[in-house]
Parts: sequence; C-alpha cells; structure tokens
Amino acid sequence: MRRKCIFWLLFSGGILLGQRFRMDDPLLREPAPINVAKVYPRKFSDYYDFFYSTFGKPGDQNRLKSSPVRAMGTNTLGEPMAGAWWEPRHYYYRMSIEDLVRGPGNSKPPSDGPWLVVAAKNEGITPGFTIEDVNKRRYFLKFDPASNPDIATAPDVLVSKFFYALGYYVPENYIVEFLPDRLEVRKGTKLRDRLGKERPMTRRDITEILLGVPKRKDGRIRAVASLLLPGSYAGPFRFWGTRKDDPNDIVPHEHRRDLRGLSLACAWLGHDDSRSINTIDFVVEENGSRFVKHFLIDFGSALGSATDKANSPRSGFEYLFEWKPAIVQFATLGLHVPEWAKARYPAIASIGRFEFEKFDPLLWRSEYPNTAFSNRLPDDEFWMAKQIAAFNDDEIQAIVRTGQYSDPAAERWLVKCLIQRRNKIVKAFFPRVLPLDRFQVKSGTVVFEDLGKPFGVGAPPDLAGSWSLFDNERGRRRGIPTSAGFQIPVELKDSPSGTYAVLDISAGSAPDPRISVFLRKDPKSIEIVGIDRTWKQPIVPPAP
Amino acid sequence: MVGYNQGAVLAVKVIPVLVIFVVGQVLLFAQETTRAEEIQAERRKRAESLEPDEVSRLEKVLRDFKDKKILERITAGFNGLRVKAGGLATGGGFALGPEYLREDLAGGRVSARGAYQMTFRGWSKADLQVDFHGKGANPLWGQIYSVRHDYTSLNYYGSGPDSAKSGRSNYRLEDFATDATIGGSLWNRKLILAASAGFLRVNVGPGKDARFASSEMLYDERSAPGISNQPSFFRGGAFVEFDTTDVRTGPRSGTYIGANYSHYADRDLGAYSFDRLDLDLQQYIPFFNKRRVIALRNRTSAAWAGTRRTVPFYMQPVLGGSDHLRGFRPYRFYDNNAMTWNIEYRWEVFAGMDMALFYDAGHVAPKFRSLSFRNLETSWGFGFRGNARNSVFLRFDIGFSHEGFQLWFKFNDAFFPRRVISSSAQVAQ
Repeated sequence: MRRKCIFWLLFSGGILLGQRFRMDDPLLREPAPINVAKVYPRKFSDYYDFFYSTFGKPGDQNRLKSSPVRAMGTNTLGEPMAGAWWEPRHYYYRMSIEDLVRGPGNSKPPSDGPWLVVAAKNEGITPGFTIEDVNKRRYFLKFDPASNPDIATAPDVLVSKFFYALGYYVPENYIVEFLPDRLEVRKGTKLRDRLGKERPMTRRDITEILLGVPKRKDGRIRAVASLLLPGSYAGPFRFWGTRKDDPNDIVPHEHRRDLRGLSLACAWLGHDDSRSINTIDFVVEENGSRFVKHFLIDFGSALGSATDKANSPRSGFEYLFEWKPAIVQFATLGLHVPEWAKARYPAIASIGRFEFEKFDPLLWRSEYPNTAFSNRLPDDEFWMAKQIAAFNDDEIQAIVRTGQYSDPAAERWLVKCLIQRRNKIVKAFFPRVLPLDRFQVKSGTVVFEDLGKPFGVGAPPDLAGSWSLFDNERGRRRGIPTSAGFQIPVELKDSPSGTYAVLDISAGSAPDPRISVFLRKDPKSIEIVGIDRTWKQPIVPPAP
Repeated sequence: MVGYNQGAVLAVKVIPVLVIFVVGQVLLFAQETTRAEEIQAERRKRAESLEPDEVSRLEKVLRDFKDKKILERITAGFNGLRVKAGGLATGGGFALGPEYLREDLAGGRVSARGAYQMTFRGWSKADLQVDFHGKGANPLWGQIYSVRHDYTSLNYYGSGPDSAKSGRSNYRLEDFATDATIGGSLWNRKLILAASAGFLRVNVGPGKDARFASSEMLYDERSAPGISNQPSFFRGGAFVEFDTTDVRTGPRSGTYIGANYSHYADRDLGAYSFDRLDLDLQQYIPFFNKRRVIALRNRTSAAWAGTRRTVPFYMQPVLGGSDHLRGFRPYRFYDNNAMTWNIEYRWEVFAGMDMALFYDAGHVAPKFRSLSFRNLETSWGFGFRGNARNSVFLRFDIGFSHEGFQLWFKFNDAFFPRRVISSSAQVAQ
C-alpha cells in the first residue's frame, strides 16, 4: 500500500516536478528578489580565510566527489540569470567602445572645490582617505607607492571596466590628480593610529600620510577615487556557502557559474587577490525591491601589481602555500626551478610582474584556494572564455587607456599581454567543449556561431547533428532516424504546440564533446529553450 | 454477506487510491508551474529560517586579533610600556624585560626608549636611547645612546687562530657606555654618513659559568691583554654606509658596504689606546626572478695599537657565532684582526619560507697582513628562514665544523649589518 501511495503521489502530483523545461524557460532574469528585512554587516578574518581555504575544505568541493556538481543558478541555456550577482553585458549585447570605457559610470568624478577628509587610513599596505566633495559624494582615495608610479591606481580603474563589461558589479573608479592643499580635514574627523587608538585628525596627518606618495613635478598627486557604493554596507561575501540572512541567496556560491567562471577573468587580468576581502555586499533598493547586491572591489593588486610594489613572480602560478611545490623545493634544494621563476618581465615600474609567455590559464591560481574557482567545470570555463574572447584588440586597448599610464611603454606592454593572454585562454578552454554558441532558429534551421574559428580553435569540420523527440515529463528521447543535419525535422514542425525535440551536435563519431540543443514548438514558432554541453572525460582538473 | 465483503474490499482498496489521487491533484495545482515560481518558492522557504550570518568563534578571535591590533598593542605595550625580547649578545640565552618607548615627543621629532633585560643565565642589559629625526625630507638625524651590560659568562678560548677548544674559559664583562651620534642620509637614504663620540667604562671579572674555569685562572695579562686592569675610554669615530639592497631586513638583490672607524683613547692607564676599523661588504646576486639568491659577505675587522700599547682582549674582533662562523661556539676566536667570508645559496620553498645552504670561512690573526685565504676555519650548514613581505623575522640555522655542530635560532637575517653606534666592548655589541 505504501508503495502505491508513493507511486500515485509521484504520478499525480509529481508530473510537473519531473519536467525538465517549464513554460517560462529559459529565464533570462531572476524573478524580482524578495525584500530583505535585516541584513547584518559582517566582517571576515583574512587569516581565517587563508588558513581555512589552504588547509581546510570549505564548501562543497567538486574535487572530493566522484561525480562533480554542475553549476547552478543558471537558466536552461546554461547562462547565469541577470540578478544580484551578474548581468549580461558585452558578449550578449555588444557594448560600444564608449560604453566599455564608461564602465559602471564615468560622469561622477570628485567635483572641483575642496575635498573634505572624513576618514583616513594611515596603516596597511597603502595609505588612503575617505573624502566628501562639494556634491556630498563620498570617495575612497588610494595612492601609488613612490617606487612604482601608477602600479595600483591604473589597475584599479581599468580592471573595474573589464569586470563591468564581463557582467559583474563594480564601483565607479576615477583617476584623479590634485594638489595636496585641496584636502581639508572635516571637523570631528578621527584617525586611528597604528595601535588602533582614535584621536582627532589634523592637517598634519594629511601631510604625513602623503609623504610616501609619489608626486608630479608640479606637486600634484595621482590617486584613484572610488565612489562609495549605494545602499547600506553588509560586508564581503564568501566564495562558498550562502548568506544566512539573505532570502534570495539560494545557490551555494561555490556552485554559482558566475563565480566559478570568474576564475578565468581573474587569470586573464592577473587578479590573484580575488578573495573575500575584495568583495562587498550592499543592501540596495532597485525597482521597488530591497535586496543584497554583490560587488567586486579593489583591483589595485591586479595586472602584476602587489599594490605597493611589483607582485611576486609566484603569483598566479602557485598558492602562497602548496604542499607539492614546497616539498619539491625542500627535497631538491631548490635545484628544481619552476617555469614561472624563469619568466621575463620588462623593466616597467608601473606594471610590476605581468607577462604572457609563461602564463598558463589551465593552471592559474589565486593567492590561495578558492572553492568556487576550484569547482569550475568545462562549461563554466567556456561561459567565461567566450566572454573574454568577445573583447577585440581595439576594445582591450581602449579600456587599458582608461588606466592613464604615465609611461606609454606600460600601456603598450599591458595591451600586448592582455591580447596574448586572451588568446591563450581561448585556446586552452574552447577545445574542451564544442565552442559553438548563439544558437538560433532561422528559416527552419538551427544556426550557430563557431566562436573558436577566429582563434584557430574552431569545432572540427565534421560536425553532425542528430535529432530526437524529447519527452519533457519523463526526460526520455525518441530518435528521429530520418533526420540529420541542423534542419528542423518535420516531426517537430508538424507536432502540436508544447512538443520538444533535441538536436545533438558532435564531431565525427566521438560522442563527446557534444552539445544538446533543446527546442520547443510554441504556437507561432520553434524556440530554443535549452543547451547542454558535455565534454570528454576525464578533464584536467583545475587547481585544487 | 458477500455484498458486504465486496463493499469492504472496495472501501479498503479503492477509496485510499482516490484519496491519494485527489491529494496528488491538489499538490499538482499547489506546486509551482513556472521556473520563476519555483525560485520564489525556494526563496520564501529560506526566508522563514533567516538568521544573522555570524562568523565562527575561531574566525572571530582571529579577526579581532588583527582588527584590534593585539600584536601591535602587545609589542607597543601600554602607554609606551612593553615587553622587549632578545637583543643581547649570543650565548646568554633568551632575554626578556620591560621597555618604555615614546615616539611622539616634540611632535614626533624625538623618540626615546629605555629598557632593562635579563636572560635566564643572568646576563643583563640596560639601555637608554634618544633619537632626533629630521621631518619629511630632512636627511639629518641624531642619537644619544647609553648602555650598561653585565654579561656574566662570556666565552674566552685565548687569543689567536690556534686557540684550543679545550682552552674554554669564561669571564664576566660589565661595561657602561654613552655615545652621541649625528648623521645624514643622502641619495634616497642609500648613503649614510655619521660621526659619533662616546665614553666607555669596563670591568672584567670572574666568569659565573661553573662548568668552565674562569678566564683569569687560565690566562694572564700576556695571553689576555687587559684581563688584570680595565681602564675607561674616550671614543671618537665615523661610519659610512652605502646600501642598495632591496629589503634591508631580508635582501635579495643589491650591495651593502659598511665601514666603521673608531679610535679608543685609554684615559686611565695609557696602555690600551687603539684604533679599529670594521668593514662589511655584502653582495646579493639574484636569479630566477629573485627566487634564488647567492648572498656573499666579507667582514674584516682590524684593531691596532701604537708602540707599547695593546688592544684589550675584550675589545678584539671575535669569530664564531650565529652570523659568521656558524659551526663554532660563540666567541670561539679572539685576536686583533679577523676576516670572514660567507656564501649562502638561498631559495624560496614557498611564499613564507626560504631555505639556505651556507659555507663560512674565516680566521683571526695578530697582524693584519697575516689575514689570508690560508688556514681558514670553515663551517657549513643549512637553514630555514621565515619571512613576511620579504623581511626575515625568524631564522633557524644548523652549522657544522670540525668542532661539532651548532644550532641557531634567531630573529634576524644572517647578514643583518650592525652599525657601531656605541663604544661598548666588541663582544657586547
């Protein structure tokens, strides 16, 4: 009897539970978020994050599973939905050069007139101020080290534009140059000394903080002014788990495609400091909803920079601590020289250590393990690689120019590196899957773009398609033996509305890599409702 | 009867099925029919169990440790009063004691500190220091430094390169020195020039380490000049320092050249006036992006006295210890002249730790011209160096020589140069 109960429950009530596609699939945008009531600002420990990520097992880790978890939080096309984490931009709706240069915004730099210092940081890696301009807008001012002009300010601006074009939320960052006397201490501003003791801030503190900051010949100081994000501060996010106080945060971060794919963007831009400390959540009110929005911040240590100096050559190649390389170095007395140690860098002080010859996108690493990055699978990689491939050389150059490097050689080198690194990323990740995308139904045929072709890593020429009718309730396929190629078969054309079919595309006789394109007969048209990519097993796993 | 049974069977078998079907249909209509509704349902479910997202207790401790600057407060102390560890001469054991530091005097232009430290072996040091800083780009600085040492069991094996290991004795050195230094930093602080003058009083007494004979029992005035009488000295001197190393506290590239000259004038006996010159040359040859470094150092010290004058043994250059001949005991060799060569091959094991293989060679000699590459005492070994932001904060070296092996646990780089800013006895510096 019990067995029957279960059967009937599943049969009668569960018919739709088994549906692969819902009527509103594919969902391009997340449904309007549920309003959040109270979100508690939180602060993490860098040390804990490092030690737990290096020696612990945070989150749900694919490397520990026999069958890895595929990305969640995507629609049936395999794309993240526009929402609080990400939204489709350059790859999806081609941005003009002007849009790319504008990024998150370029119309609100600090205004003319005095800048009131309302807070200051005289410790840490680099000093900085929080200022308020005459329009009452607040900015964080950050500086370069005397030894390496532009090394932190330029990446902070230009990398934010890249991340913006890739769909992430970032602050508006501006390069500013000003004379020190423009800064005025607002009455009542406090300063914490190196022991954390608070005292009133004085003009002299500004002078002393600016002592270690490089100055132009005319006495002007270059800085990056980062516009304070709107909303209320809620602390950083982690790259695993979810926020317990956010009702809309339902996908574990380590399984978010937008965070898994972020690893490739960080590899491209040399943003090895991509950890919780450089993220931030804000409670914002948009379109009548009050929700937690997730931002990436602080890019001053990207592109070969360590903010206050050139980055270590190890950066991007090994974690701060990694058992295997450490044991090898210990056991071989350093006679085994890792390839990254042989990298050559031009002597450009404002760039630091950024290159492309030794860069290996498959093995790139952040400062320490990042669960979302380590969980990535070939479809996550393809998702970001295609976005990176969407930047052409001119667009890269235009964005790099927003860094306003004082040394033209720095700009040239950076453009060259980013182009070469982009190409390497494409060549490394596209062949893991079939690099076909932008599927459409045109004139009764499924058409698509081979994204790899311009890079010389296009799909094999012997692409073939095979069709099946697809039972959306049971997930079963019934082959259509008479149909081959990409033309939609009559079995689907002549079927009633709500019928599904699937086109499997593969090369030659190899079953993988393969793309399954799901189509639905609607009353007036046939729509593509799902895309599923598979790949050859085993894959070379990403960094542990 | 039969009809009743059939009805019962019908009731038992069919009605539950119908009930289940109806419930199923209710669920069917109750469930979400769109993706958006499915997502919203999940969010609503989650909204019922929200809670503050707090960090774990361990993370909170670590976070507060950094945010509340616990380490800085411990090292800075309370209102300037703090604990000072280390800083005494090698061989006395771990030193600990209170220190008072003020860096905010005269608007930050003057800093002052005073400390008293003692080791578990009874060695002690008390010092007072006042520094005058030029503000901003002002390259001038000054210092007044006064120190008293009481080292109760310094090693002495006799003077000269042939002193025997079996000749180990110990003596007590008490000294008091006060010096004033004025200097200037040029060329982006790469070049430092300074001059100093000071006063020194010394007392040598019986050593307190009962395992070994006291030095005066084994050595007389001839083999240990100055062991009977210790005068007071006036000292005048100058030093120059040229430093292009990338990180002073853990260099991977660059050159360091330091030269110190001092003239000590015996104020009481007239027999122990002497001159002394110390040279410290360092070269760091990086390769493989500074992940491998060959570090070379030569230290040469020469002390000379006029006719019928001698250099007291406690002011002689010494060899053996944690930063030159590392396979020998501290202060293993004394004489008027000393020279050491060190070569280290350093490599990065991981971001926070380097390892090193080292080879030390050197010797002492009564005359400067006797210093050569022949008859060198040698030691070799390996070490581990913990570093943070390229600065070495911890060092563990193991040195081997024909006299055995030595373990060194230090809080600085092996080649960290020491400026002579005090008239103190050589061994105490």
